[in-house]
Amino acid sequence: MADDVTAVVVDDHPVVRAGVAHWLSTAGVELVASGEDPGVAWTGPGAEAQVVVLDLHLGGVAPATAELRKLVEDGRKVVVYSMRADDEIVLQCLEIGALSYLTKAEGADHLVQAVKAAAEGQSYTPPALAGALAGDRSETRPALSPRETEVLVEWFQSESKEFVAQRLNITLSTVNSHLERIRVKYAAIGRQAPTKAALVARAIQDGLIGLDDL
Amino acid sequence: MTDHAVSAITRQVLLVVVVAVQLVLPLPTLVSHPHAPTAWLAYGLLTAVLAVVAGHVAAATPTPAYLAVVPLAASVLATTALPAGASFGAADWAFGLVGWYLLLVLVERPAALVAALSAHICFSIAWFAHDGSGDVGTAGVVVLSGTSFQLGVLVITRVLHRDARLAAEAAVEHDAARTKEELARQREQDLRAGFEGQLGALLPLLADLADERASVADQTTRLRCSVAAVQLRRLFAENDDVPDPLLHELTACVDVAERRGVVVSLAVSGTATPVPTEVRRELVAPMAQALAVANGRAKVSLLRTATEVRVAVVADAAETVPATSGPETVTVETSVHSGLVRSEARWRTT
Repeated sequence: MADDVTAVVVDDHPVVRAGVAHWLSTAGVELVASGEDPGVAWTGPGAEAQVVVLDLHLGGVAPATAELRKLVEDGRKVVVYSMRADDEIVLQCLEIGALSYLTKAEGADHLVQAVKAAAEGQSYTPPALAGALAGDRSETRPALSPRETEVLVEWFQSESKEFVAQRLNITLSTVNSHLERIRVKYAAIGRQAPTKAALVARAIQDGLIGLDDL
Repeated sequence: MTDHAVSAITRQVLLVVVVAVQLVLPLPTLVSHPHAPTAWLAYGLLTAVLAVVAGHVAAATPTPAYLAVVPLAASVLATTALPAGASFGAADWAFGLVGWYLLLVLVERPAALVAALSAHICFSIAWFAHDGSGDVGTAGVVVLSGTSFQLGVLVITRVLHRDARLAAEAAVEHDAARTKEELARQREQDLRAGFEGQLGALLPLLADLADERASVADQTTRLRCSVAAVQLRRLFAENDDVPDPLLHELTACVDVAERRGVVVSLAVSGTATPVPTEVRRELVAPMAQALAVANGRAKVSLLRTATEVRVAVVADAAETVPATSGPETVTVETSVHSGLVRSEARWRTT
């Protein structure tokens, strides 16, 4: 349950670590370790944490995609937390196998939901990420149904799932399952990663998506 | 006067001169002195040249240069037909006349004219020397006076030509300057007219405020003011030279709303695509309208996919401002759901 969720935060700004710690603790997520070096996620209590909240820009100019890849290949559930909203980087992180990508402009609510979803091996698609997916022009992008695209765009535009549900005249859970299906379609393309495989397997088990859809 | 007009007039004047000279001077001389019969042939040839040139002048076509051969031939015939020792004397009807003919035929070709005149003079002088019985002083005076007069005419025509060309160039320059000036004036007028058109709600609002038909104490007036403020701010941003003009205009509108105390978040997705100014206006207008009436929070988003550009706003707004004119290229959809106004403008790029 939510009380069991543990997380580790890797960020080079103490104020961000403190803020994230506060947000997570009020939502019942236990922050077991935090630090400015990715090492905190590999040693001590951090190594046992269910979710890694990773800042993509650790001091350097280049994004820490190599760190992300190492964590994902080890089967860790990673939520990327970045100040950059550059579509290309966002899509690259998904491709590597991050379960969520949040921009620092997005608030506590999205971060908590993303961490909780990640703890269960599930994806979370905040509005900025939805925008990046909707604007994806890459050759390899998966085919989305018109409805899925509409949900993605409306969610990006309004930041309110209730609003999307009302607008499209569907239930809140349908909005969520559309978003999940989209993420599963994305997980099924490109590079193999434990988190992505788990996402797809679970979606097929739950009947959320058929093999034909992939 | 153009170059062409100078040529035409020069030829006409020369033609009249030559006709007069041909009729008045040589005939009495020919009749009263014992010339060989070939002199009449020379006279006939010259008359024929006169007819041909008159034809060309009437038809306003250029006189062919080879026609100069005929006066030269006539020169030879007439000079050889002279009585002994008559060269450059009272009986020599042809020397001056042939010079005029050459001038008439070759006036447009100064180099050829000088060459032909030289040939004519040289032959005449040679014949004079061969004859050996004339008075050298008289001959010198005749040659100098006749030739210098003809060369003088040639120089005058060249000067006239040059002046005409300079005048024509000056006129062209002046015309170009006038055209440029006119274009600049027109452009400024267009710009002003365009600006007035784009000012939209502003001018009537200012007029109403000035005439005290509207009061700022009135909520409706305040709404109109904020609409006008956003429109103006967007208009100012419109001509800025920036890499992403659409985003620039959106940011400008967001800025005005934020100054009014609205908390606006702006989300952008996709890469910049070129959007024509007209379309940009239509894309931004609904969102600017909604922002102007928003209070509390608003979310503005710009999404650019491979086929579409979508500008949307979701805002807390108590009242809605009716859309102004129906846009053509952009699809606008406005709806209200649980106190939130959503307005979206879509433009298909393909």
